[in-house]
Amino acid sequence: MIEISHISKRYDNFSLEDISLTIREKEYMVILGPSGAGKTLLLETIAGIHQPDKGEIRLHGKDITGMPPGERHIAVVYQDYMLFPHLTLEQNIGFGLKARKTASSIIEKKINESAEMLGITHLLHRYPLTLSGGEQQRAAIARAIVTEPAVLLLDEPLSAVDEFTTERLHRELKRIHRLTGATTIHITHRFDEAYLLGDRIAVMNNGKIIQVDSPPVIFRKPANLWIAQFVGGKNIFQGHAAIINNVNHVKVGSATIKSSSSLIGEVRLSIRPEDIYISKHTFNEPHLNSLTAVVTGITDRGRFIEAQIDAGIPLITVLSRQSAHKVELSPGKEVIVTFKTDDVHLFTTGHQGALPV
Amino acid sequence: MKIKIKQHGFKLFTITVTLALTFYIAFLLFHIVTYARFSRFTHALTSPEILFALKMSVFTASISTFLCVIAALPTAYALSRYKFHGKSIITTLLDIPIALPSLVVGFGLLLFFGATPIGKTLEEIGLVFVFTPLGIILAQFTVNISSMIRVMKATFSSINPRYEHVARTLGCTRFQAAAKVLLPMSRQGLIAATAIAWSKGIGEFGAVIMIAGSTRMKTETLPISLFLEMSTGNLETAAAVASILIVMSVCSLAVFEKYFKTHNHF
Repeated sequence: MIEISHISKRYDNFSLEDISLTIREKEYMVILGPSGAGKTLLLETIAGIHQPDKGEIRLHGKDITGMPPGERHIAVVYQDYMLFPHLTLEQNIGFGLKARKTASSIIEKKINESAEMLGITHLLHRYPLTLSGGEQQRAAIARAIVTEPAVLLLDEPLSAVDEFTTERLHRELKRIHRLTGATTIHITHRFDEAYLLGDRIAVMNNGKIIQVDSPPVIFRKPANLWIAQFVGGKNIFQGHAAIINNVNHVKVGSATIKSSSSLIGEVRLSIRPEDIYISKHTFNEPHLNSLTAVVTGITDRGRFIEAQIDAGIPLITVLSRQSAHKVELSPGKEVIVTFKTDDVHLFTTGHQGALPV
Repeated sequence: MKIKIKQHGFKLFTITVTLALTFYIAFLLFHIVTYARFSRFTHALTSPEILFALKMSVFTASISTFLCVIAALPTAYALSRYKFHGKSIITTLLDIPIALPSLVVGFGLLLFFGATPIGKTLEEIGLVFVFTPLGIILAQFTVNISSMIRVMKATFSSINPRYEHVARTLGCTRFQAAAKVLLPMSRQGLIAATAIAWSKGIGEFGAVIMIAGSTRMKTETLPISLFLEMSTGNLETAAAVASILIVMSVCSLAVFEKYFKTHNHF
């Protein structure tokens, strides 16, 4: 378990401001934020490359704030791999073991084990610069895990490889995490990656951690407008919420939407496009919102159809080709849009920094 | 025809200037190398005095280059990896010797070691720089150290510090990370800088003559030898010495080119 408490640090143009975060044993924690949020600075501070100006870091209860990086047993994998170009893959992977004066017979055995785990055994005699991005990435991961670190830090490990390799490496990272059980902190600016890999996500912006939750909660119940937009939220509106007959009614423009949230007053409201159901008939149940609407536009996204709908408020929704065909979706057509009161997420209007463009 | 000249006129002009310069340099070199009769050439190469000067040049240049490397590596590391107060002033000061005439550097050394209490104290403990081979080494070191620092600083700065970060998280101290990762990755820059410092050391004249004088068979390096032969009217011997210097410079240039061109692809 690693406990970060009240860490502050200024370095170049980046800063960390009073960061507290606890990562549980064997947890896969993803730190999500835009570039410039201070994610890498946080990672390097945990690794001991930088000394925090304030605060402390504990690993398994022991204060490691002032400990040199080499003694922490915290390994880092950077996005550009940082494999030593003058050494073969074998020497790269064995580097940490050799630096810690491990017996050479053990080094060889461990190199082979980790190379096998990552499927790079046939590349061990090669130099890093002769390898593809994906291969280098695996080698960098092997070099880190071969030392059996207490914590594995991954700095945007997938942003330098192509989409196809990324998908494969997602699966790899999950598998490696399962096999090694290493407590992992993975930083990324991509929400889909965070969603797929993280046990929990810590959202970071402007040097601060602003929400820590499981991926579905971050996705459905972002703590504020900034997070909602950063995680790709659409259908975000401003409204006024009030409880009427024990049900929270939010007035947004000319529409009234029921929500199961208990937040009242001036609020932001969001509904995920995929939570909106389009039909020809109305559903009349207390836990559902069912509104009459007009289709204003249809966009073919290839694998799915996106429809723009005017239900008193402009909604975006997605549906399969099949469902679009079934409801005879066409511009100008009148349809019914239905969504659960549970899927109407309310949050405060508090604004945490500007969105990246 | 007119159109052709219009289209190719500029290309023709630049290439003509290039060719003219190339001929000029080739002619100069050729003239020096072929000035002495062959018999005179071999005679010079086997004369004790020229052999002494050759050995003295190689010896002093090798020592001064080694000292440059020893001093430049930590300095370049500090300048490329750390932030500290007065860094920009320090960088500027360390750069000044590059722009100074080497005569001025030699004059400074002479004043410092010949006329200050520090120089006198060093002399008392046996470190005599004025009119000695030790002075030659010091003169070469002082003239070359700035460019050595510059090249190594540029080399270190071109290498992402994250390589060292990774090495440190894998169990290295800062020093071990620099020795096992940064230095091997800087190998080409270091070889290029060494070749240039050595070649410049061999050829250093102004600073050497100021502090070490030009005593035959005592503080005589190849450039000093060339100067002495020429002053006494021995133009053929002078040409032979100059030819040796040309060969040595061309060899160092070749080493420099080989490593500097392919350098920094990390």
